[in-house]
Amino acid sequence: MSYLVCVLLFGLMVGSVGVASNRSPYFAAMGLVMVSGVGCGVLICFGGSFLPLVFFLIYLGGMMVVFAFSAALSAEPYPYGWGNRSVKMYVAAYVLGVGCAWKVLLGKWSGFWGGNLDESGELLVLRGDMMGVAAMHDVGGWMLVLGGLGLLLTLFVVLELVRGVSRGGLRTV
Amino acid sequence: MTPIQMTFSTMFLLGLMGLTFHRTHLLSALLCLETLMLSLFLATSLWALQLSTINIACVPMLLLAFSACEASSGLALVVATAGTHGSDHMQNLNLLQC
Repeated sequence: MSYLVCVLLFGLMVGSVGVASNRSPYFAAMGLVMVSGVGCGVLICFGGSFLPLVFFLIYLGGMMVVFAFSAALSAEPYPYGWGNRSVKMYVAAYVLGVGCAWKVLLGKWSGFWGGNLDESGELLVLRGDMMGVAAMHDVGGWMLVLGGLGLLLTLFVVLELVRGVSRGGLRTV
Repeated sequence: MTPIQMTFSTMFLLGLMGLTFHRTHLLSALLCLETLMLSLFLATSLWALQLSTINIACVPMLLLAFSACEASSGLALVVATAGTHGSDHMQNLNLLQC
């Protein structure tokens, strides 16, 4: 089981290096898709049920789709992929940096400290992290209201930014 | 340090470096910002799961909500840049014009 977690952590690292080193947003978005999927797997391995689902559905299916549609704004005829020389140099630099950091800081790792949330060994319907999120609706109700108001404010901010016709950010419309 | 903590710390640093050294497109800088948010989501979720303090499971959800606010504002800025300057290339953002 810990081997599976090791493989997933390696996948996280590969995806993050891919996002950070890439010049073209097409391929960086692909790295972020990989990071989301693998991160969902990591959270499942540690006993979560609701949080990995949120990760996958809301993050990947909601936010990344919007990013993918906006990637059309940065369209160019020959996007720089991973075969490009400068991108390869950045990838090499990041991999070297991550490798050195791991070797120095993790020279003798102390095991996967901390257990699962499902150490009880039973098959429960309502898992722990779902109960935690339910607490957000229960005692954290005001924070939820605040979050909703913040999202509403962001909606108006976005509408003002892309308004155009001399009062927004778009001057040429 | 455990491998998990090392992983999300390194993810955070990689996203930060990608955001600092962004070269051509504004959108790829925003994607590195999303990597930062993702590593923070992972860190707080693992906090809730590993230490069995399940009330902290609210924190990743609220973090995701506010990160959606920030991502949408950033994308609106990218759209405005593409509308004003024609593309979201960073080298076009050199004059103090709207």
